[in-house]
Amino acid sequence: MRTRARRPGVAAAKTVGIVALLAFSLFPAYWMFSSAIDPEAATRGARLLPAGVTWDNFVTVIDDGGFGHYLRNSVLVALGTVLASSVVALLAAVAVSRFRFRFRKSMLVLILMVQMVPLEALVIPLFLQMRNLNMLNSLLGLTIVYLAFALPFAIWTLRGFVAAVPVELEEAAYLDGASWGRMFWRILVPLVAPGVVATSVFSFITAWNEFIFALTFLQQSSKYTVPIGLQKFFGENTTDWGAVMAASTIITLPVLVFFVLVQRNLSSGLTAGSVKG
Amino acid sequence: MADLRAAPDASAASATLADRPPSGTEPTGTRRRRPGGLGHRSPLRPWLLLAPGLVVLGVLLLWPLVRVVLLSLQDYGLRQIASGESNWVGLQNYVDILGDSYLWTTVLPNTVLFALACVVLTVVLGTAVALFLNTLGGFWRGVGATAIMVAWAVPAITGTYVWVWIFDPLNGLVASVLEGVGAIEPGTVNWFTERLSFYAIATLNVVHHGFPFVAITVLAGLMTIPHELHEAAKVDGASAWRRFWAITAPILRPVFAVVTILSTIWDFKVFTQIYLMPGGNGGNKDVFNLGVWSYIESFAQGKYGMGSAIAVLLTLILLGITLVYMRTLFKEEEL
Repeated sequence: MRTRARRPGVAAAKTVGIVALLAFSLFPAYWMFSSAIDPEAATRGARLLPAGVTWDNFVTVIDDGGFGHYLRNSVLVALGTVLASSVVALLAAVAVSRFRFRFRKSMLVLILMVQMVPLEALVIPLFLQMRNLNMLNSLLGLTIVYLAFALPFAIWTLRGFVAAVPVELEEAAYLDGASWGRMFWRILVPLVAPGVVATSVFSFITAWNEFIFALTFLQQSSKYTVPIGLQKFFGENTTDWGAVMAASTIITLPVLVFFVLVQRNLSSGLTAGSVKG
Repeated sequence: MADLRAAPDASAASATLADRPPSGTEPTGTRRRRPGGLGHRSPLRPWLLLAPGLVVLGVLLLWPLVRVVLLSLQDYGLRQIASGESNWVGLQNYVDILGDSYLWTTVLPNTVLFALACVVLTVVLGTAVALFLNTLGGFWRGVGATAIMVAWAVPAITGTYVWVWIFDPLNGLVASVLEGVGAIEPGTVNWFTERLSFYAIATLNVVHHGFPFVAITVLAGLMTIPHELHEAAKVDGASAWRRFWAITAPILRPVFAVVTILSTIWDFKVFTQIYLMPGGNGGNKDVFNLGVWSYIESFAQGKYGMGSAIAVLLTLILLGITLVYMRTLFKEEEL
């Protein structure tokens, strides 16, 4: 009996399939980068191969005082979100996966439910709230809002990582006379560190990519994050597509790197946390 | 968030996890009851640990959710913002929206048909890609998975700019190619002004961003199906098509249910991709969906009450879908 893989028709079909898949998947990313390095992208119409290689578009974007500033704002907001959400989520994850208490199940359902809250519906009340608190145009205000967005997912994921740490380790620490706090820092935290890294990356990406709240809250250009700052390269009538694509490349790069890095981490965490196959 | 699709958008990512909640608590749960976890007996400690999270979620997610419903019952505009007074109008905002033919002829069809098209295409394409990757050897499967990961990772915002640039009427790739072969006159076509072509481009964008999540999730499911099942069916002479429907589809039914429902939720509330396309930020009322309409009413028109009512309408639709999601989830996995 011939195996399928050896039939030449099947092999050819697979080759066509993989080429088509790669082309479809990678084309926009390729197009973004190739336009960014094409010296004539905006002026002479687009071609599949760039007319040359220039870093001028990147230099334009970076030299532009504004964009560097937006990058800094985005980094601040994203790092703040990561830091706050990691701490708060880890505490909550330990509570729901290490303690048996009344309403524990209700808490789990609540965390699952709030993931479903459509954030688009919250933009109006949160805008009015921030306005009353005088926190529009505040990077701190934006960070706090992103913390809330990142939290349900982070708690839910970390819960799996915490559950995967054998309770026996904690019990041994107790028997040795360690306090709860000591056990938490010396045993639990190092063991769930990979999980914290994985969820941190997703918190980072949430804050880095977020558009609608940044658009609504940030009204002074000095406070813009990169998704909002990007719009500055759009002219009234003409757009410098080379610059837009260079800026887009800069924004996309960290997400791409993080995403590829964390994917393995996350799936290992999922397997650790869930026993069902 | 719609952007989680930006699974790089955490929304997509959260979905990945949500559809397979780590269920490792059961075994630990039994262990936890053993004596020995001395510190675990403190009844207050779990609540202290939970407190910061609960405060954040309560103040920033749950209370605003209540508030948007309250706002939707008011005529809340710039005057009310300035004075701080309330102007209760009962269900008037809803009466206005539901009585407006604009909702029925433009916004709702835009929202629903667009979401349906995106969901069907995303799930079908994602499944096809997963089935294809599953037939490949380890190396090429890795290459394919990495490539679609790149498609997934490009943020919704920059991805949208790329598609807008590709379809740019002046110098975009598609216009250049079509002009090159003489199919169109230079500078005569603008795909962004027509509702149908506008949404065709939006669909392409959203499907391109969304299919990797489906593909990766379904692929993970496919790898759990024992090889023997397919081998046996093959010996019995079942075609690939029949094997898919008789073996793969029933086993992966929960996976399909979850990816379909999540895609539906995301695609109903797509905002960034529509708003950033030419005309989507208010210039062309023909292309609004519910999310954009709510945003424009609130922040461009200053009618926060009206915008809130539209947001509540969208939320109710999503709530219906979410209920289905929760039922599926709880049927499959015990918390």
